[in-house]
Amino acid sequence: MVVGSPLRSGLDMTRATVSLIAVFALIAAACVAFGTYFANATLSGAYGTAVEARFKVTATRISSIIERAASLGIAVPVQRTLTEVLRREARLEADLISIDIADERGAIVFSSAPERVGQVADAAAPHQVVSLVRNDFDAIIGRVIMRYDPRALAMVADEIHGALWAVAWPTLAGAVVATILVGAVLAGALRRAVRRAAHPSRWPGAARAVLAEIEGVHRDAQAPGAAGGGR
Amino acid sequence: MIGLRAAVTIAIALILCAALAVIGWGAQRVAQRTIVPAILAKAETVGRSAGGLVERAVAAGIPVRDLVEVPAYFDELRAPSREFAEIRLSLPSGEVLARSGTRVGLDDAAVVRTAVQGAGGPVAEIAITVDPTVVWQQVGAVLLDVAFIGVVALLVALELVALVVGGRAIAALVAVEQRLKALARGRLATQQDDGGMAVRALLAPIDAITSRLGARHRQARARAVQAGDAALVARLDRLAERSGVGETEGTESRLAAAVRPALFLFMLCEELTRPYMPRLAQGLAAGDAGLSPNVAASLPIVAFMAVVALCQIPFASVSERMGRRNGFLAGALLAALGYAVSAVTGHYHLFLLARVVTGLGYALVFVSAQGHVVDHSHGAGRSAALAVFVRAIMVACLCGPPIGGVIADRLGAEVALFTSAAVAVVSALVAAMVVPKAPRGVVHAPATLRDLARSARAPRLMALLLGCAFPAKLLFAALCLLLVPLELQRQGYSSAAIGRFQMIYPLLMVLAVPFFAALADRWNARAGFVIAGGLVSGIGSMLVPLNPSAVLIVVALALLGLGQSMSIASQSALVADTAAHAGGRPAGVLGLFRLVERSGNAAGPAGAGVLLAAVGFSIATALLGAVVVAGAAVFALSGQRSAATSGSRRHMRASSSEGSPV
Repeated sequence: MVVGSPLRSGLDMTRATVSLIAVFALIAAACVAFGTYFANATLSGAYGTAVEARFKVTATRISSIIERAASLGIAVPVQRTLTEVLRREARLEADLISIDIADERGAIVFSSAPERVGQVADAAAPHQVVSLVRNDFDAIIGRVIMRYDPRALAMVADEIHGALWAVAWPTLAGAVVATILVGAVLAGALRRAVRRAAHPSRWPGAARAVLAEIEGVHRDAQAPGAAGGGR
Repeated sequence: MIGLRAAVTIAIALILCAALAVIGWGAQRVAQRTIVPAILAKAETVGRSAGGLVERAVAAGIPVRDLVEVPAYFDELRAPSREFAEIRLSLPSGEVLARSGTRVGLDDAAVVRTAVQGAGGPVAEIAITVDPTVVWQQVGAVLLDVAFIGVVALLVALELVALVVGGRAIAALVAVEQRLKALARGRLATQQDDGGMAVRALLAPIDAITSRLGARHRQARARAVQAGDAALVARLDRLAERSGVGETEGTESRLAAAVRPALFLFMLCEELTRPYMPRLAQGLAAGDAGLSPNVAASLPIVAFMAVVALCQIPFASVSERMGRRNGFLAGALLAALGYAVSAVTGHYHLFLLARVVTGLGYALVFVSAQGHVVDHSHGAGRSAALAVFVRAIMVACLCGPPIGGVIADRLGAEVALFTSAAVAVVSALVAAMVVPKAPRGVVHAPATLRDLARSARAPRLMALLLGCAFPAKLLFAALCLLLVPLELQRQGYSSAAIGRFQMIYPLLMVLAVPFFAALADRWNARAGFVIAGGLVSGIGSMLVPLNPSAVLIVVALALLGLGQSMSIASQSALVADTAAHAGGRPAGVLGLFRLVERSGNAAGPAGAGVLLAAVGFSIATALLGAVVVAGAAVFALSGQRSAATSGSRRHMRASSSEGSPV
């Protein structure tokens, strides 16, 4: 039988425990980083949703005004009082660039920004909220388009990102250090347990009790005239 | 005592949860500063909009008190905004005229008030109570996902750590832990392992003592036998049984354990699909008029399970002919192809075909890995090697669903299927690296149909197989793989949440199987445990119609796990005993056992799909539970109450069918 040196044996165990702890510390760090990333994404998403939902409420209200007028026979292009409604609503929302009313072909007929009138609205453009305007037969007769400034959202997203990572970096470092410490303490305890196990007098209670019992039975068995020693 | 790896895992899981709690606290602070004002602004806009509508009604001459359908309108406003806990319309006197939602428990919540103006001043007020904890709950749900992924990642790391650290080093650690655990339990058997070679110098003092005691014990027994002292022999034997002195206990051989990381990775592939498979199948079959949604959801699971059941026996000899390593590689690549095709196809029938291909690969990998373990282990080490093999599968069952659910939720089911394909390829690479090339084995004749038929005549075996083994797998596959995912999906749970529900069963199995196995052995009451397990798992499912809520679903899953933990090891042991005492070839009994179990796996989702369409979730679950209870009763009545011959604990492990989904 090949018997390795204690040094080699110790190195093998050290290598195993250090690698194990390193792998686990990496996992802990990765999980904290992922957690922060997902929390950041969730909060930024929640902020964007809240802002867009607010614009959607306003857009829907304007749509319903237009629909009521249309149901009385007033076509969208001739609802001239809308310009003032749009300006008033736009003034209430600091992050809005413009509120446009487009007809069924997409041409902007009214807007809180007068220079947009006559242009063609891009229905697929980002950073806008659209509410459809329908007539009594459910046909689309126009769109209310609220264009907002994405920089406002980006600013808040940056603030969320900064604040979360300010908490996350020390947490991440703490998790890694705690992992290494716990690993080191447990590995040390294992080493001490191995050393103790070399001496039966320092074995755990259950092992010591069994050893004493075995020694006793073996003594009985070896005693002269052991036949009949079974109890 | 627990080992270093388990202790480090528990400690890091706690550290991780604490760290994520700190992130949660940070998220709450930043949400308070940024998102709460945005929600309040939204509430103001909604209040203004609703107030404007009331003002128009008042201007049209309708008194506020006479307005109708206001609560329904408020319900509409609240529907897309869960953060609006309550919207109410009240008079300036404070009298509430209409209300939607409730502000119970939200005494400190912010309230946004909008005055409704009439000709002579305010005529009413709209008050919106904002509950910002909804946002924190979203963050909490995300962090819960991450915490689960973290804990699961730790378990994955434990399985794969041998790849990173090296098999020799891990074997050394296992050897050290094994001896310390044995001492803590008062076991003084000689430990036989090849991992111990690496740390021989450290372990030599312990091994020297146990070897010396063992030699002395054997000598004492031989002398007592020679002297005809039956009482002393009995005393020595009792001591040996209790303390292990004079016995040799083995761990898995390093060669046999080499397949474990590759097998774990491969098993993970299929487990990843559990939470979203029924939903995905339903989506693909949406245009197929010939299939009901529930049958469409069940067919891919049935096809997979049926192929695995039918191919296990013939593939055993295929794997022997190919060589275990080649069999593993071929199976893993075949399964990867199946997952990849499943991911790209939008055609339901091609998807089904891809599941069949995956099932073929799965069966080939399974029998090759099992064959490799059996080929490279012997004696005491074989039981340990097979136990480790089973544990790798169970840990995959535990880890796969929550990870698969999160991937499917965040990146889509197609990406999750591609992930399975990629992991299958990685498992093939790992197998190519770590599983040694072995000469093609001597091909043993596989169990034939005649063997199976002869085995079926073994006394009371069919009562055990058809009364307990088949219904147990039937209920497991029906409940965990189809009924629960579909019901939870209907109740609005995400795939990630469904994955967490699916952890309950394997978690209980991992924790409780060794406990109940030891108890059944100690009390010599295996048949009793099989019957009790059937009753517990069946009754759990029969409770569901009382209130098919998430709580009772958890209870049903927990009782299923607990019941099957009670019965599975005893059931395997009874089969092993029958095999050991069967005339002719034991392989026939074991082959029949596995065939029956896996048929249950295939029949479960099929039956559940039909029942679900016919009678709905709760009745379908209860009916399947009743089948299990009836099966247990039939087995009890068959007279198999007598304890089986003892001393087959090793057989039990060797014949255990993994306790896994397939």
